[in-house]
Amino acid sequence: MVAETDARWVPVAVSADIPDGTVVPARLPTGPIAVWRSDSGRIYANGDRCPHRGMRLSHGFVRGESLSCIYHGWRFGSDGACQKIPAHPAVVPPKTINCGALPAIEALGIVWAAVQTPTEAPPDFESYEAVRSLVIAATPDAVARACDAELNADTIKTQCDGHDVVLLVTATVPEEVFVIVLVDKKLNLSDRIAFSTGLEALRRTAEAKGYAA
Amino acid sequence: MTATAMRDAWYPVGLLSDLQAEGKETLLLGEPITVFGFETSGPKVECNGRSLPVFARFGHLWTSLGSPNKDLFTIPEADHPDRTLVDVGVVRVKCSPLRAVENFLDVAHFPFVHTDILGAESHPEVSEYKVEIRDDVDEVWATKVEFFQPQAAKSAGGGITTEYMYRVPAPTCSVLYKTCPPRPREWDVIALFVQPLTEDLCDVWPWMALFDDESSTTELIHFQQLIFLQDRSILENQIPKRLPLDPAMETPTRADLTSIAYRRWLKRHNYTFGAQLVAG
Repeated sequence: MVAETDARWVPVAVSADIPDGTVVPARLPTGPIAVWRSDSGRIYANGDRCPHRGMRLSHGFVRGESLSCIYHGWRFGSDGACQKIPAHPAVVPPKTINCGALPAIEALGIVWAAVQTPTEAPPDFESYEAVRSLVIAATPDAVARACDAELNADTIKTQCDGHDVVLLVTATVPEEVFVIVLVDKKLNLSDRIAFSTGLEALRRTAEAKGYAA
Repeated sequence: MTATAMRDAWYPVGLLSDLQAEGKETLLLGEPITVFGFETSGPKVECNGRSLPVFARFGHLWTSLGSPNKDLFTIPEADHPDRTLVDVGVVRVKCSPLRAVENFLDVAHFPFVHTDILGAESHPEVSEYKVEIRDDVDEVWATKVEFFQPQAAKSAGGGITTEYMYRVPAPTCSVLYKTCPPRPREWDVIALFVQPLTEDLCDVWPWMALFDDESSTTELIHFQQLIFLQDRSILENQIPKRLPLDPAMETPTRADLTSIAYRRWLKRHNYTFGAQLVAG
């Protein structure tokens, strides 16, 4: 059975943080995942565990359109299937060896992943785009209170340093949230940098003793 | 219940050259122990006021929480007087002690983890080798393991095909015999002695008995520490933390025959401290 939360797009990374040919660790509510961009610029996601010896695939390396495990070089394609086992060059890996490809798309400068392909598109905040992500050791409610705003469907709309902002808040592990912050697309680079730096104050407020309780 | 078998085994708890009279607190199989070195009466290990058996060998002090039914294993090959004996020191690794041993038994990771040192990506193939559990000595042995290595040892001038033998004489110890570049008829001996602190934390004490007239002890230690630090980046990032003994959890191939035999041997003896028995 597919849980209702499985067929839902979850914001897992800022697109700009994953250049071509790289892989990063991320989290879905179901557990850790590896998010990677192929040399041709396509984004993919799969479980963060090599089926061979359990090594995190987010420590691996991307070549062409494949992700390889750093431990023994097992190579996986965009469909999660194992393509190559370097220790046995003549062996065609059985179809059953798979690292569990997950649906992943990009919108608003954000990589969205899901456990099951959702029927609906991710939420659209038309004039906004992602500027950065941050991990805050606090509950979603504490983040909302630090912003002096309401939390509505994992989203906080507020003003920060005089700018309208949207915060996408995902709780993946207890007492920790992953936050992606979106600003007006038209905001220029120097303003974005100043704004991004200023977000540390939000983190400190949300994490302040007594505030998160 | 399940921990009893491992309590009766011997474990390294310190370098003989580095024991302190005031005592050093550490852990063994999750229990607090204190390791003392006294000039006159020799070393002593205590656990909650109880004296534990001690044994000095291979430059290390060994102890046991239980009643070992046999002496600590020997490495006769290491006795040759021309060998340089190297106490490498200690590397603390946030991983299962059993995963640390299993990684040591594996050659297929050399090209990717010890790139251009113990392996090269252009030569990743692991050819067939022989693995057995020797019932007479109750040890796991892998022989005729051959692998191409760009720089097999500090004493190797360039790339060579190295032959390895692996031996597991105790649940958290492994001895590796490998082609000795300056003396083709002898084997270099490299051992991994693991002190299990908890089920997912261990102190690894590598020890070597080599024929190497060229390198200084410092150079030999640096070489081995480089290798172990590369391994640590792997060992601290395997999921699950504990070594799965359920065959459904992971996917071995022919290159993993030593690891398969090691896991089977652990299971047979109930050596399960640091192991995960069922998938989950």
